[in-house]
Amino acid sequence: MNASKALQKTLVVSPERKLEADADLAIVRRVQSGDVAAFDVLVCKYRERVVGVVYNMTSNREDAADLAQDAFIKAFQSIHRFEGQASFFTWLYRIAVNSTLSHLRKNRMRSFFSLETIQGDDPVAREVLDALTDKTGAGRDAFIGELQEKLNDAMQKLSINHRTVVTLFEIDGLSHQEIAEVMDCSVGTVRSRLHYAKQLLQAELQPYLRQ
Amino acid sequence: MKQDRNRKITVEDLLSLKRAERPPAEFWASFESELRAKQLAAIVGKRSWRDALPRIFTTVYRYHLPFGAVAALALTWAGIHYSSDSVDAVRMAPSVSARPSVRPLVSVSPAVQAKGSLDRPRAQSPVASPQVASAPVAEASSSVSEASAPESLKAAIGTRFSDVVATTLADFRENQPELARRDVFSSDREFETTVESMREAAAEPLAHVDPAAEERNSRLLEAALPAIGPSSGAATLASERVRQRASNDRMYESMDPYESSSPSLEIRF
Repeated sequence: MNASKALQKTLVVSPERKLEADADLAIVRRVQSGDVAAFDVLVCKYRERVVGVVYNMTSNREDAADLAQDAFIKAFQSIHRFEGQASFFTWLYRIAVNSTLSHLRKNRMRSFFSLETIQGDDPVAREVLDALTDKTGAGRDAFIGELQEKLNDAMQKLSINHRTVVTLFEIDGLSHQEIAEVMDCSVGTVRSRLHYAKQLLQAELQPYLRQ
Repeated sequence: MKQDRNRKITVEDLLSLKRAERPPAEFWASFESELRAKQLAAIVGKRSWRDALPRIFTTVYRYHLPFGAVAALALTWAGIHYSSDSVDAVRMAPSVSARPSVRPLVSVSPAVQAKGSLDRPRAQSPVASPQVASAPVAEASSSVSEASAPESLKAAIGTRFSDVVATTLADFRENQPELARRDVFSSDREFETTVESMREAAAEPLAHVDPAAEERNSRLLEAALPAIGPSSGAATLASERVRQRASNDRMYESMDPYESSSPSLEIRF
């Protein structure tokens, strides 16, 4: 399959991702043949990830919703051009990231941040929060809100490209190769941007770090 | 809990908190409905030509090699086609212009003429023509004395060139009488005659008014005044007045105070 060949180019090629790409390609073929309802399957599958990426780039819930919807619409409108050379997941991410980048470049001066709730059922998040504070109740919620604001501020101090790389790698878990494909740059550029962005974040979030 | 407090906290750990940020459940309900509305609008809505531009560029980019090859072939063909035409034109031009001037100016030896006729079957071959055409210039320069100024040389060349042009025109009129009569080589007299006749036709539009039309006008005027009646004296008076005014106007317009038809201007007191 073409999707499998495309995935073999990435640095992280897991059998699950290959199976996922093949399943996506089958759904895409159905949409291309006229089964419009099959696109809803792809929307339900990727909406959280797409909204998450856009939200972490913009730090605004409304903008994230609008941009994610636009990305799905663009993907739907041009799905007949999708030939399976890359995985659908990478293709959709590229559309969403490019839309978000152009939105951020147009609205550089506008910054209305909104905070989402940190889900308590996430084990890693709970462990980090337990390590950072021993407060409970309202004190814990205030501390979490303050930490979220600091995280947002630190992210917004990064340039758009650095923020995108950090979002895709650290938050969404894409590999360097996948980020390079999504951002249309080299793997070396991705690594360099990631290293520089982490240094900046480390300087900004120093009070919360514990070595 | 004590073990958690001693845990190392890195930037990656803090960023994992961002990963745990998720919108509430009602967000997805509104997201779904908005997306469906946008999707329907995208299906129903007509796409503008700007939306088709990326697809056109993608298609062109995909087939850029065949397009490039076709363009290169077309350019090569056009270049060869037009260059052969221009070479033919260059070959024809000196042969026509040089033919009359060669006869009196250059005397080619019979051996050279025989060699030229053997090498090139055409009498005024394209390769030979530039050499022959340059002969008058060479002869003109040699005929001028060595001490003469460059102006005299230019005048001599200009005279020779005008002779060549005149003989070429004469040849053309002789060989192509139809074209010479109809085209730019036609005489100025013909053009003036044609324009003069057209001017005369457009100068006096009332000169072509016939008496029948005049009678029709007066009849229509009578019909336009039914209250008075055709036999009434006032209607007769009005139609008579109109007819008189029309005849006066026509008379003034037809008058030529300078009598331009005569060759000389006569002023009478």
